[in-house]
Amino acid sequence: MNLTDITEHVYPPSNPILMQIILVIVILFLAVVLAKGITLYIQRYLKDKMDKEKLALLLKLIYYSIIITAITGFIFPVLNIDTSGLLVAGGVVGIILGFASQSTVGNFIAGIFLMLERPIKIGDAVSINDNFGMVEDINILSTIIRTFDGLYMRIPNQTVFTTNITNFVANQGRRFEYSVGIRYSDDADKAIRVIKELIDEQPYALANPSPNIFVDTLGDSSVNLIVRVWAPATEWFDLRTKLLWLIKERLEANDIQIPFPQRRLWFPSDVNINDVKLSNVLNDDKSNISPTDNEQTENIEDMTERGK
Amino acid sequence: MYNIYHTPLNLEIEDTFITVEKQDDNLLYRRFFREEEKNNDNLIVNNSFKEKELAEILLLNDDCDILITPIEPVNIPKPLSSFLLIEFNCPVIIGPGEKKKIYITFPVEIGVFFKNREGDYEIIDMFTFSKVKFTLYGSHTHGLICKYWASDVFTNPPETDILREGYIELDIINDSSSMMQIEKTVFNAYGMKIYYGDKRLAMKASLRIINKLLAETDFSTYPTTSRFKRSMELYTSRKLTFSRTKGIMEFGL
Repeated sequence: MNLTDITEHVYPPSNPILMQIILVIVILFLAVVLAKGITLYIQRYLKDKMDKEKLALLLKLIYYSIIITAITGFIFPVLNIDTSGLLVAGGVVGIILGFASQSTVGNFIAGIFLMLERPIKIGDAVSINDNFGMVEDINILSTIIRTFDGLYMRIPNQTVFTTNITNFVANQGRRFEYSVGIRYSDDADKAIRVIKELIDEQPYALANPSPNIFVDTLGDSSVNLIVRVWAPATEWFDLRTKLLWLIKERLEANDIQIPFPQRRLWFPSDVNINDVKLSNVLNDDKSNISPTDNEQTENIEDMTERGK
Repeated sequence: MYNIYHTPLNLEIEDTFITVEKQDDNLLYRRFFREEEKNNDNLIVNNSFKEKELAEILLLNDDCDILITPIEPVNIPKPLSSFLLIEFNCPVIIGPGEKKKIYITFPVEIGVFFKNREGDYEIIDMFTFSKVKFTLYGSHTHGLICKYWASDVFTNPPETDILREGYIELDIINDSSSMMQIEKTVFNAYGMKIYYGDKRLAMKASLRIINKLLAETDFSTYPTTSRFKRSMELYTSRKLTFSRTKGIMEFGL
């Protein structure tokens, strides 16, 4: 006795189509209730024991498996659908659907691979195809990004899967770098010591890997120090935006100055310079120039004198 | 200092003040730092103080008890990790199959708990006088961000300022068949059991070395007395029952 026989036994076939529709609705309703109940129970049981994303994937898988089983196992017999015939029809329909929904299926497959490979997780700061933002959701067809300026962005999973992904928080630590120039007259060793002490006071500047500070180049106007600091990936941005100004303040408090760009001009003694014009220019500019520029101006004036 | 106080409360710890005062039908909790005021020439003005607010919370309750107790030292400035890595200033070498006891220090974080009439404790503030620093243990890809502390190694319980440092009585068990050098330990805050008295603040832990790249740390209990109490455990009070309490050191000693 199959399901159709049972229904015929329980309900006299006065209007068989109506009966079939009612039965399909009832089976579908029961399947949904059962699927919801089972997934809810599993969710409660595994909530603290399993990774959130893996759990969500597992729950979706269980939910749709129950629904599909109910459709093929119960609804198809009620509707007298021969599943063997479906195989042939399914093949033809599959080809048609395959062409019609190529990109959708591609996104679906890519979504499954993304969930398995997991290059990104919900909440990660990422760059996908040069789109920067936080991952809000990873769906079966698309990935949702909230850009850093607050925009909603939906990226198809096929694009996500085939493009370059940079995950800024996948690793535990992240490094940033500053270039800090000091005067030639300043003690570079003292500057390095002062910066090291300041970094040591910062909780999020990691003790290991240790910060790295060294003289990098002897520039046109300054001795350039490179400061490299590691921070936890989640705190990297806050520390990076805070530390440079603190370095500047601490160096100044220790009489180490960050110089302005300077250029020393030497005039050959036999060059005739229009004294009046030059002094006029200098007088006009004096009110607007910085102390370092003043020194430079004095140099030019001295040299002008010597040029005479 | 570590005690339960009835409101109103006025407490001075170093230069930090903790007050709980009545404000209408409620209580106002404040923690502030008082420093001498300076004039424009950067000279101290006599008998003039400036208050720097550190925390202010309005408790919607007209009467309560305040408990000040040490908490697991992994919460400040924010609970980024539940692991505490203690680096030894002087490495320790232990022979195969041996079991030895050493003492190391750990940083102290202080929790302020509010106790309501039902006897439930809720944390309202936490602070520290110890240096706060983080470090990476292991590789960049699979390692752990840990709270960092550097400690000397002692063979007897050290004298510590209990506002800043406590000590860990650490049993090192070398289960491997070779000599081992230990430079650091990693502890998991979920297993920490901190005990405090008037003059000492301590934990009892073990470090079991399995091989050169793998060790396990765990905490055990002290017998408590009226003068040596167990502190509030913030992590267990959050009811995260599925968390592992042991510290697994899989990236070397």
